[in-house]
This record gives sequence, structure tokens and C-alpha cells, in this order.
Amino acid sequence: MTNSARSSNENPTGSAYDAAINELNKLLLILENVTNSITTSKYNPFYYHGALPQFYLWVLFLSGLLLFAYYIPTIDNAYLSARLVNAWTSVQYITDKLPFGGIIRCIHRYAGDAMVIFTVLHAIRVWFTDRYRQYRWVQWVTGIILFLMVLFIGQTGYYLVWDERSLLLTRMTASALEVLPIFGGPLKTAFLNGETITNLTLSNFLFIHIGLSFTLLFVLWLHYVRMTRPVITPPPAINYILVASILLVAFMFPITSGKMADLNTAPTSFEMDWFFLFPYAFMSAVPLVVFWVGGVIIAFVALVLPWLVRNVSPPVIPAEVVIDKCTGCSLCYKDCPYQAIEMVPAPAGSRFKLLATVKTARCSSCGICVGACAFDAIDLPNLTDSDVTAQIKALVEAK
Amino acid sequence: MADKKRVITLICERAADVNDIVGPSGLVNGMPELGMVKFPCSGMIQPLMIEAALKAGAEGVIVCGCQLGDCYYREGNKMIRERLLGERPPGLKKTVDRRRVMALWLSRLQKERFLSESKEFIARLGSMEKVEAKS
Repeated sequence: MTNSARSSNENPTGSAYDAAINELNKLLLILENVTNSITTSKYNPFYYHGALPQFYLWVLFLSGLLLFAYYIPTIDNAYLSARLVNAWTSVQYITDKLPFGGIIRCIHRYAGDAMVIFTVLHAIRVWFTDRYRQYRWVQWVTGIILFLMVLFIGQTGYYLVWDERSLLLTRMTASALEVLPIFGGPLKTAFLNGETITNLTLSNFLFIHIGLSFTLLFVLWLHYVRMTRPVITPPPAINYILVASILLVAFMFPITSGKMADLNTAPTSFEMDWFFLFPYAFMSAVPLVVFWVGGVIIAFVALVLPWLVRNVSPPVIPAEVVIDKCTGCSLCYKDCPYQAIEMVPAPAGSRFKLLATVKTARCSSCGICVGACAFDAIDLPNLTDSDVTAQIKALVEAK
Repeated sequence: MADKKRVITLICERAADVNDIVGPSGLVNGMPELGMVKFPCSGMIQPLMIEAALKAGAEGVIVCGCQLGDCYYREGNKMIRERLLGERPPGLKKTVDRRRVMALWLSRLQKERFLSESKEFIARLGSMEKVEAKS
């Protein structure tokens, strides 16, 4: 059969890596079948793996907006009143005095943790199901960038609380930036918003925390731009469960700050948060040079993963439009899941106004355009309409 | 019946894994009444192909895609499902006997389910034939 070589089930190269991915994919399918038997496929969270972190992003924006209203980004504002008013005391005020403030703070923290968890699961699923390479490389690369951004945004969130942990993290980051060649000094100054930690430092952190969060929306646009109808919202039933689980954790494990940061002290240890702060564990375990070189290598390998893995499936042979048959009806353009079809003005002398064209770099050769075409005007070169009809006929007539 | 009629399955190669039960001719081993045409994605299946199969004399057509929500190419099974239900153009002609078309959404691991469902479908078509022959 012409298309059997393309089969995902066969293992053309037979490498150990392919076999491992195949097994892991099978494991996912087993889990999904179990979930399907409980939830039906419409409500299976596995089928909304990309929409889950996106949903938590909205939760984070909303809860962050409420926190922002009461947060004061300074380390010392004693001149404002008789009492000390600063970042730490404003966070204490939000947590202890403000009605539901403590819960909002917990939601903000745990939604961030959940976003990291679901982003990692999302990445693992697209990796195991082999949905990150070839025509999908833009989504993978922007996904890695998004993940790094989310990590850094989360870390700035930890600085903002301004307890002893924040102070230590700030100092660790500043000294890590300082050792970088050429840009080290300026980066440290830009990070601290000055040579040392001052009131301006925390406003800079707040700016990074919020500014970068909105930049996420831009990168998310790049993440979605090659996908038609991206699934970015889980069904309401799943949303309710997501919110309820956050609330449950928030009530069970309320968040508290550590001691207020004091610039005259030098805290040396802090309570670890493995979702956002694991780079700091790495940083404290190895010399800074190893940290930077190792970090850059890990990030680089993650970014180029789509090109490191080559031989699992053969190259994509893009769909081809049969120019004499295309009526310019746009059905293939609407149905293409990767925005690989563009409607252009039909050549002079045509009876029709538009003509479908294939953007070959985006084409996955899935054939959905073939299914959308009622005029046999678009074909996969290695399995044409006439091939299919001939196969069907042969099967009906076979003895 | 001397000339046994055939059911044609149009199946996504990533859906129920039938590689080991299909012979080189495209017929299922041990079930000569069931033929298979494999597609890279169930979204490639045109309603025209279903009509062509029925016109050529097939007794029925089974369309098999992956679990709804889990298309490797994002939306293929959703597309063919909507086309079969008449919610998305191009759809099936009104003259097509809907009882002769069955859609299954099965993951790679659900070969047994595929076989049992298709056996049931073939039996149902057989009993339909008998009723029609009587009347």
C-alpha cells in the first residue's frame, strides 16, 4: 500500500530512542483510555493539555491584579507614616487584614505552581506523541521561550514578597549576573535598578513581573499563530475543577512570608520551592561558571530538540493544488489545521476569483484539505484521490 | 449468496492498530467481507469517497478515526465527524443510506473494540438485507 511506509506504528529506523518514545506514547494512550471511560473524550483533561496552563494564566492575571492594588514596591517607606510601610508589610496587610486577601495570595502562588506543572506535562505529552517537530517547530521553540519566561516571572514574584528569602534570591541573582562577561555589570545594574538594593529595586522587580507577564501574551500569539482554532479554553466543567483544586490547596496550605528582609543581615538558606526556584538549587550546588554554561546548554538543547530528533518519520511531502480544478471555494483554507493554505487571486483568464495555494513549510501532509475539497482539486502526491478510489474499487471487487 | 458483498473501512493509520490483521490485498485476515483503506488522517476522508464505495457496490462503509480530541493533526477526526453529521461542508449526499455508514473513534490500542464493532455492523447490514429481500 502506498501509504504504509508513513505509518507511525511501524518503526523504520528501529532505534532505541524511537522504541522508547513509542512505549511512552502507548502508556499515555492507556492513561487516556482510562480517563475517557470516566469523563468521555469531551471532558478528558489530556485533550486540553495546552489549554490548562493558559487557563491558569487568566487566573494569575486576575488574582495578580487584586494583589497589585494593595502592593507597595519599596523596601522602606517609613516617611509615609509613623509605621513602617514597605513591600513586606503590604503583603502582610494583604494576607492578614484584607478580606479574602490571604486566599487571593494563595491562589496567585498556587496557580503559578499549577501553571508550571501543566506546562511541563503539556511539553511531555507533545514530546511523547511526537507533535513538536517539522511543521510544528515554531510552537516548540516559542513554548520553550514561554517556559523560561514563566520561570523568571515566577522568580520575580518571589523577590516581591521581600522576606529573607527574597533578599537572598536577589543577592544570588545579582552576583550570578555580575560574573557574565561584557554585559555582566550592566545587567546587574539593570536588575537592581542601581548599584545596590534600594527602593527602586523593588519597583523594577514589579515592572519585570508585570511587564513580562503581558509579554507572555505576545509570545503566546507566536505560539498559536500557525494553528487554526487553537484549543485555548478547557470546557467549563474542567475550569471549575481547576479552580476548586487551587482553592482546596489554598485553604489546606495557607502561604505565609518569612521574616522581613533586613539589608544588614545576610540570610544563607531558604525554604525551597521546586516549581520556580530549582535553578537556585543548581546555582548554589555548582560554581557560577558551571551554572551559566550548564543552563545555556540545557536551554539550547531544549530549543533545538525538534532538529536533533530526525529519523522517526519520513519528511513531509506537501499537498498539491490541481490548478484547473480549484474553484477558489476556500473550504480547504478554512479547514487546514496549520494555516498552510492561502487563497490568492486566480490567474488571469480563470473562471474563478480565487485560487488555493499551499505554504509548503507549514504543510503537515495530513490530507485534511483533501477531505475538505468536493472538486478533487487538492491532492497528497503519495496518496491521490484517484489512488484512494482505485483502492476502494479493487477492495469491493476483490474475490 | 454467491457473490458476497463487502464492507469497506476507511481508517486513519494512527487510529486502531490494524496493521497485523490486514493482508497484502487490503482485506482483513479471517474476515474476507471487510476491506481496509488506510489514510494518514481520518480528516482526509471525503464524503465523495464514501459515496464512491457504496456506488461501487460495497454493502457499508466504516469510517475510523482516533479518539475525538486526540487527532495527531489536531482536527482531522473532528472534521470528518462534522462532515458526516452534515455540520461542515462538503457533506454526504442526501440519497446516501445513512444506515450503511458507521463512524468509530478508537485509539491505537483499541483493535479488539474495532473488530467487535465492525462484526456487529456487518451482522446488522446482513439482517437489513434480509428484511429488504422479504419486502
